[in-house]
Amino acid sequence: MKSLFISLMLLVPFLKSYASSLKDSTTVGLNSYNDTADVQVYSPTFSLMKTLSKNFLIGVKLRVDTIAAASFKNGGSPAVVDVVTGASPKEGTFEEVRYAPTLTMAYEDTNNALSGGVYYSTESDYEGRAFFINYTRQLNEQNTAIGIGISQSDDTWIPAFDRNLPRDDRKEGKIDMSINQLLSPTASIQFIYSLMYSEGFLASPYNYVKQDTFAKFEKYPETRTAHAFAFKGIVMLNDRNSINYSYRYYADDWDISSHTVSTEWLSDFGSSVTSGLRLRYYSQSDAFFAKDVGAYGLDDQYFAVDYRMSAFDSYDIGIPFIYKPSISSPYKVTASIDMYQTTENAYIKNWYDIDKITAVYTTLSIEYDF
Amino acid sequence: MQYIFLVSLVLLTGCSDALVRVMPYEKEYFAQDKMSLSPLAQRAEQESHIFLIREASAGGDSSFQGGCGCR
Repeated sequence: MKSLFISLMLLVPFLKSYASSLKDSTTVGLNSYNDTADVQVYSPTFSLMKTLSKNFLIGVKLRVDTIAAASFKNGGSPAVVDVVTGASPKEGTFEEVRYAPTLTMAYEDTNNALSGGVYYSTESDYEGRAFFINYTRQLNEQNTAIGIGISQSDDTWIPAFDRNLPRDDRKEGKIDMSINQLLSPTASIQFIYSLMYSEGFLASPYNYVKQDTFAKFEKYPETRTAHAFAFKGIVMLNDRNSINYSYRYYADDWDISSHTVSTEWLSDFGSSVTSGLRLRYYSQSDAFFAKDVGAYGLDDQYFAVDYRMSAFDSYDIGIPFIYKPSISSPYKVTASIDMYQTTENAYIKNWYDIDKITAVYTTLSIEYDF
Repeated sequence: MQYIFLVSLVLLTGCSDALVRVMPYEKEYFAQDKMSLSPLAQRAEQESHIFLIREASAGGDSSFQGGCGCR
């Protein structure tokens, strides 16, 4: 049934929301992430897009993650974990750099947009490879857009210490299908369905369950199938104010399901500045193999210590900022700051020795059209 | 869930002629940043990555997220 559905959907001429004209541009940015689990990430980004003709564009993106993280604590026994992971602590932290270049190509005409690319990511203990393709078709005098996106990754674990994993690959496939519809000159709505399939070593090679009488590395099922359905909308309230909103339902065959709601108010402050407020709420259930902390036995088939396998909620509040000197200016600056917080969780307490995770993340980008 | 999407697809593509037709000269507002579903591309990319690392869910957006060891 699933294959039939996918086949039928592939036959439909598909979509994306807005046909934007291709243009030469370059963007530099800097992102940051800091949380109370002592993880710090600073990520400079760079992109260059160059049109080859009116209809063709090629581009390159590069993201570099410089990561500093405290030693895993697991209930306050970091020395044990460092021996297990083989990580080399530097004044209580270990450091990592990840490079992730992406090459993209795009074709666009009046009613069709086709884009694709290849992605590569390398860090000391992980190598990622992927490709992606997106197609969008405009219908009804560009009032309706339907689209499909397909991506497939083929990644490899290279554990930092000598551990023979049951398998060292992780493959992820994803199909996104979307419909955009203009409802009026000041409102539009979008529906998205995602089908995701993962296979391989899906746990972390470093996380382990530690109990009084034994310690076992995490073990998850080797496959995972997930579905997500989302709708998003945007409404212009008046000349200066707009509100966008979204809802997503997610469910997978590990019995994890979640609800995500988000809304953002944006307002023009003068002719050059747009800012506002964004709120997001997320709630998920636990995986079928997640047990209470300390409740695992040697006979269990699966072991989880990652709090993402447990039930928890999270909240996010953020402030966006857009600056464009004038409508005709080739420059645009965007920035944002968000605070993210989970609810209190026994898994988080067990692993990080804190009640909940609180994070602050920021973005800054400068775009120049030439 | 597939059926929800399928019904949405049929309703929107099949009935779109009955919807209000927004003419090209009426679309000026959609050119504004604040009328984009993803008004800050840099933030959208960053937070998609963060939510993948900090939460167990994914999907529901048409963006691509490559794999990394932090997940």
